[in-house]
Amino acid sequence: MLQPLREIEGGIKLSLNVAGRLGQLRRPPVLESFLRQVYFTGVTASTGVVLRASVLGALIIAVTLDVLDADVDLAVKMLLWVVFREIGPLAAAVVVILRTGTAISAEIAMMRVSGQTRVLRYLAINLYDYLVVPRVAAVMLATMALTFYIQALAVLGGLLFSPFIINVSFMELAGRFFELFTPVDLYYSTIKSLLFGFAIAACCCWHGLNPPNLTQNAVPMAVTRAVTQSAMLVLGINAIFAYIVFGILFFGLVKATQ
Amino acid sequence: MAELALRYSRLVGANPVMVSVPRGGVTRLHLPGEDVKMHLVKAVLKARADEGEELELLGAATAGLDAKGRERLRRRVGVVSREVGLISSLNAWENISLPAAFHGTTPLAEVAELAQSVLERFGADAEKFLARLPDDLDPLERRLATFVRLLVEAPELALFDNIVAGLTRPERERVKEFEAEYRARLPLGTLLYVDTQEAAA
Repeated sequence: MLQPLREIEGGIKLSLNVAGRLGQLRRPPVLESFLRQVYFTGVTASTGVVLRASVLGALIIAVTLDVLDADVDLAVKMLLWVVFREIGPLAAAVVVILRTGTAISAEIAMMRVSGQTRVLRYLAINLYDYLVVPRVAAVMLATMALTFYIQALAVLGGLLFSPFIINVSFMELAGRFFELFTPVDLYYSTIKSLLFGFAIAACCCWHGLNPPNLTQNAVPMAVTRAVTQSAMLVLGINAIFAYIVFGILFFGLVKATQ
Repeated sequence: MAELALRYSRLVGANPVMVSVPRGGVTRLHLPGEDVKMHLVKAVLKARADEGEELELLGAATAGLDAKGRERLRRRVGVVSREVGLISSLNAWENISLPAAFHGTTPLAEVAELAQSVLERFGADAEKFLARLPDDLDPLERRLATFVRLLVEAPELALFDNIVAGLTRPERERVKEFEAEYRARLPLGTLLYVDTQEAAA
């Protein structure tokens, strides 16, 4: 019982600490670490998701039409409400957890176990400033960018491939899509992706800095905990945020008002 | 009475010890055991004495210091020790320049110049050396990188903790030249060697 409470308390303290220390990004080594993390999380991850993201949109439309025998209107709504609002940010979060979350927690846990965090302390370098702040800020930014990228590719993929499945033109689909699209959709996914990035990075940094013990075996344990809890946090944030903004839970299965 | 760079006492445990190191010169301490040595090195590194210990660094008692005061004091002290190794994910240049870049104490151009001249003095190809990760450096090279990082910090008190441990005889001879390099660059600094009586024998 104490361990989860300790983790929640540690996570909150770490989050507050990071928020208060964002100014440290001005320091050259911290900025360099931030840019490296943006490159690793955002740029190198983006190449691998191009095909998957563009197939995602087409797949959703194809399945919707086939299973639900839906019309064009419903297909575009699915593309916007499911792919753009929900699947896009979630897909980006999954990519970030699997690629970056594992790397961050393993790297920091390894530094902790091998005494390298102690070296930083002896050099009067604050661990939050040098290890946590650049990673959290970079992962937030990169998750947001990756979300936009996946959303754009998935929607474009859906609009491009759908004319091969249903008897409707690309222009007709695109026109209907932009009729339904509101700025709230954009704000919603932007804020959500930033929150996802923050939760993933903060959780992975915390587990990296607090491995269960200081042996080599602690590194995979820290990574497992970081990944599991990051995934749970992302799902939790997704559910709560959807409820706050749209008054719905689980893609509309639970509604705030009847 | 000569001004002291370090005064340390530890009156608990199996080997009580009292140490006074005058400012300016070179002092060699052969402590009674590894445990005593580690307590001294850690106390200096943290600028903080544990229970049963007393520590004065560069004329300042550490007992009443707050975190900031301790940090200020710590930055006037440099240590070459296995306790303060290199960061494995950073190359030699990043390791050497990290404290200066982070604290903004020395311009990086000056750090690069200093690193290049010291490395060349010790027969290393500076460009190749600085690009390598710690795992690609041999024990002498790792010690050299730590020593250059210490020189960049220009500490008033430099502590060499069992600096020749694990090195071959020719490598030990090279390491002995660190002293002359430190004295040449920081003539007013204090150099303190610590090892155990067993290691000295």
